Amino acid sequence: MKKALFLLTAFAFFGGLVTTGFAAEQRQWDRASLWNPGTVKMVDTTQYKKNPPYKIGFSNAGISNSWAVFMHQEVQAEAERHPDLIKKLYVTEAKGKADKQISDVEDLIAKGIDILIIRATTEAALDPVVTRLHKKGFPVITVSKGIKSDNYVSFVDASNYVLGRMNMVWLCEILKGKGNIVMLGGWPGAGSVADRKTGADEALARYPGIKVLDYQYTHFSATEGKTVMQAMIQSYGKKIDGVWCDSGLQGVGALEAMVEAGMKLPITGDQLNSFMCRVQKHNFKGVMGAYPPRMGAEAVKLALRVLQGESVPRHFNVATLVSTTDETADIKADVPWDKLAQPDKPDNWWLGHTLPEKWLPY
Amino acid sequence: MISKKLLFEKYGIYIFLLILFVCSSFLSPAFLTPQNLRNIFTPAATLGMVAIGQTFVILIGRGALDLSVASVMATVTVITSMNTHGQDALLLPVSIACLLFGILVGLTNGLLVTKRKVQPFIATLGMMVILQGVQFLFTKGVPKGTFPPFLRFMGTGSLGPVPVSVLSFAVLLAFAVIVLRKTIFGRQLYATGGNINAAIISGYKTDLIIIVTYMISGLTAAIAGLYLSGWLGISDNWVGKGYEVDSIAAVVMGGTSFQGGKGGVFGTTAGVLIIATLYNLVLLLHFPLHFQYILKGGAIILAAAFYARRVSY
Repeated sequence: MKKALFLLTAFAFFGGLVTTGFAAEQRQWDRASLWNPGTVKMVDTTQYKKNPPYKIGFSNAGISNSWAVFMHQEVQAEAERHPDLIKKLYVTEAKGKADKQISDVEDLIAKGIDILIIRATTEAALDPVVTRLHKKGFPVITVSKGIKSDNYVSFVDASNYVLGRMNMVWLCEILKGKGNIVMLGGWPGAGSVADRKTGADEALARYPGIKVLDYQYTHFSATEGKTVMQAMIQSYGKKIDGVWCDSGLQGVGALEAMVEAGMKLPITGDQLNSFMCRVQKHNFKGVMGAYPPRMGAEAVKLALRVLQGESVPRHFNVATLVSTTDETADIKADVPWDKLAQPDKPDNWWLGHTLPEKWLPY
Repeated sequence: MISKKLLFEKYGIYIFLLILFVCSSFLSPAFLTPQNLRNIFTPAATLGMVAIGQTFVILIGRGALDLSVASVMATVTVITSMNTHGQDALLLPVSIACLLFGILVGLTNGLLVTKRKVQPFIATLGMMVILQGVQFLFTKGVPKGTFPPFLRFMGTGSLGPVPVSVLSFAVLLAFAVIVLRKTIFGRQLYATGGNINAAIISGYKTDLIIIVTYMISGLTAAIAGLYLSGWLGISDNWVGKGYEVDSIAAVVMGGTSFQGGKGGVFGTTAGVLIIATLYNLVLLLHFPLHFQYILKGGAIILAAAFYARRVSY
């Protein structure tokens, strides 16, 4: 068990090197395939084979937070790298509204795209339209935020279950298996958020001494993170021993609330630079599971493979990494926290992107 | 002899607020603690600042309102974080630029409404969307920069037991009361709202009054944006989100009628406190965040049905 974990973290370390752009070669294998203990489920895409050049449609749930912007840019930057294969990339964003996204998808289909890449506002609302397309034999790739059913070709992400689970395992271990925690989730209804909570709940089941006082959604917003955390501090006060956030986006707001209240509790998040820098600056104990925006680029690459009739994994899991300020029995830092936190870079900077200068949102 | 009904209508909102406070302290023991009250009042002060400007606009009447205020706040946040580079020295010139920006937006709104006869709902809605686009163009969706320490103090600090933002709101409120009740402009604003034809016949420059009113709304929104960004300390796309609806709700709950010419900023203040208290209560009682919307909507309807001043014909 320990050996497997060591290998896993070593693999994650190398994955981390690639993620931060250090490795020279491009990764060919996704983690779910390479490390799969069973046989890798592949999808036969010969039915989708077409002659290039292709028209690709990307329907984004929204770009209301900086992660979504980076990922949005990744899709466009990657499309630009294949001028011979991609005739046109159509991009829409739905401002977080499911009904708008449904009409966005229909607009894209009307434009005659060959394949749809979608990041769904909510896993339930976008399911019918995607299912309809899939059943008609139209290829759909879901990325980051998926749909509830199985009616798509492939799903690209960095495992949300792992992110939620690892964050929770760390928190429970740092609290030595006893204590009360509060949970701050992201966008209500989003597949990614639900999966992170499921992963966290799986971890919680093994720590009967840890009690969840509250779970609130924050729309991945620092403002809401701060407001909600302040109210939780008011209600529960010193009873709170730890804070589980599924992203640094609201995590950084929760941190602000704790700093103002003079509390210093262990907190979880992701690789958002402002979160990592502030944890370091205020000397908090923190952990993060990275959620690389470059999954947007991987989705485009996968789409091209599908359209060329190459079989693809059913689940393409982008390599990611975990880091922490304080290691526990099971959770180790693949790269030290202080190497990843970059105070000279902007607050809204994300590790795990492959954007060239031109496409940087700066 | 003042009838009980009239007293009820005039002071109903304050009675409602008092009852709400009392009920809240029973429902949650954490409610009346100084820290919690500070948590409520500090961001409520920023909503109050926006609502003061909104009161002015709604007093114009005939459907006048300002939907662009939240976008002004968000843009001010971005301008401040990206141009002060976290330095106090740059705060003053950047703040002045932000205030001028707010006034400019108000001027545009006012001109659209008076000179081009655009419905205020459409004009300010359009402005709101344009500003969102401009903001994204400017930041490419990823806000940069940090806020100077003095701004953070303005947003989160206290002078003695009173938060700075609350004191600032009180000062703004005092200004507003003086303008509305003691100046010619205030009198003419009420007159314009009450009966615009009579105001025109009386020789009031109603177009000018309306334009200045929108400029006041833009200005208060910019001020609120500065305080709110100081409170949050992080450049976030969602700063000020929902403030346009909340400010309108607060004004209407407070008794200022959409018909115009009736109402004032004290009622608005009560409306702001009601909304802020309800939001806080939802969280203290561990209801899901979305209950805030249900409670807010319910409070608006209740207030309109029972306490808001009736329009007399």
